[in-house]
Amino acid sequence: MKTLAVVITTPPYSHLTITALTYVEAALEAGINVIGVFFYQDGVMHANEDISIASDEYQAIEHWQRLQQKYQLPLHICITAAEKRGIACDAIDNETINKAFTVSGLGELVELTTKASRLVQF
Amino acid sequence: MTVLNTQIASTELPASGLAIINSKAPFSSTHGKDALDVALIFGAFEQKVSLFFQGDGVYQLCANQDGRLVSIKDYLKTFSAFEFYDIEDIYVCQQSLANRQLAEDFHIDDVQVLSSIDFGTALNRHQHVLRF
Amino acid sequence: MSTLHFVRQSAFASNDFAQCLSVLAHQDSIVLMDDGCYNLKHSLMDSLIKRVDGSVNINVIASHAQARAIEIITAVNPIEMTDVVELTFNHNKVITWQ
Repeated sequence: MKTLAVVITTPPYSHLTITALTYVEAALEAGINVIGVFFYQDGVMHANEDISIASDEYQAIEHWQRLQQKYQLPLHICITAAEKRGIACDAIDNETINKAFTVSGLGELVELTTKASRLVQF
Repeated sequence: MTVLNTQIASTELPASGLAIINSKAPFSSTHGKDALDVALIFGAFEQKVSLFFQGDGVYQLCANQDGRLVSIKDYLKTFSAFEFYDIEDIYVCQQSLANRQLAEDFHIDDVQVLSSIDFGTALNRHQHVLRF
Repeated sequence: MSTLHFVRQSAFASNDFAQCLSVLAHQDSIVLMDDGCYNLKHSLMDSLIKRVDGSVNINVIASHAQARAIEIITAVNPIEMTDVVELTFNHNKVITWQ
C-alpha cells in the first residue's frame, strides 16, 4: 500500500502552497492513500478563518477544504505553532479555526511519519 | 564540487527513522527552534531521530553563543539534553564549517564531522527527511 | 537507496541547490519546481549535467518553467505533477530543498 504523509510549512498566501495542493490532489487522484497533511510553522495559517484573500486570487484554504471533503483527507494543525500566530485553539466553539482542520500536536506528526511509506515536505 | 556518492547495495542496512536537516542560522528565524521541537518529540516518543547541520545550520552548533544578549531565549542550551531523549546521531557537514572558517568547536559533545559524501550516506540511512 | 530531491529555490538567491548537489548520489533524481526552475540557467546546472553524465535523472515541472518563460534544455525532462507523484514512490525518500 502506498501511503503518503505531507508536511506544509508555507502560509496560504504563499504561492508555494499552490504546488503543495496540486501535488496532494494528484496523489489522491492516483489512488495514493494520503494518511494526513500536517501544517507546521507558517503552514498553520491555513486554518485561520479570518484570513481573506482577494477573490480573484488562488484560494488555498478553499482548496484544502475541498480535498478534505472529497477524500476525507485529515488536515492537522500544530497547536503550538497556531497559538503563536493568533489562532486560539483552547476556546470552545472556536470560530477562528476553519472546521476542515483538526487541532493536533507534534505527536500527530510522529504518528503520521511512522505510518507513512513516504513523507513529503512543502 | 565533489564526486557523486556511490553506494553499495549489499552493505546497506534498511533505512529507518527521521533525519532532520538544519540549514538556518540560530537567531534571526525560528527554524532552529521549530526543528528542535520536532526532534525532541520524536525522541520523547522513542522514535529514531538524527540531526544534520549543513550550510548556515552549522552556526547552531558553535560554542560560546549567547542569544540572551539579543533577547532570544537560548534554545541552543537544550541541545545538551539530546542524550536524555536518545538522540545520539548528530552530524555536521565539514565543507560547511570550512566555508565559514569555523573550527570544530561545538557547544555539545559527540558531534560527528563528515565529508559531503559521508554526510549524504548518513542521510541515506534514514527513511524520512525534514529540512528546516 | 535512492532519493528524490525537490528543488524549489533559485540558486541565484540561496544555497539550497548547492547543498542538494553536495549530497546527491547515483540513482537519485531531481525535480525542479517553483523558483527552482531558474536553476536551468545556473552554472551549477551546467556542471551537474557534465558531471553526472545521465546517471542522475533531472526533471522540471513543465508548467512551472513555461510560466517563468524558461527554456527547457534537452538534458532535463519536462514532467507533470502526476509524474512527480509516481517518482515519489519510485524512490526511497524525498528531500525538499526550500
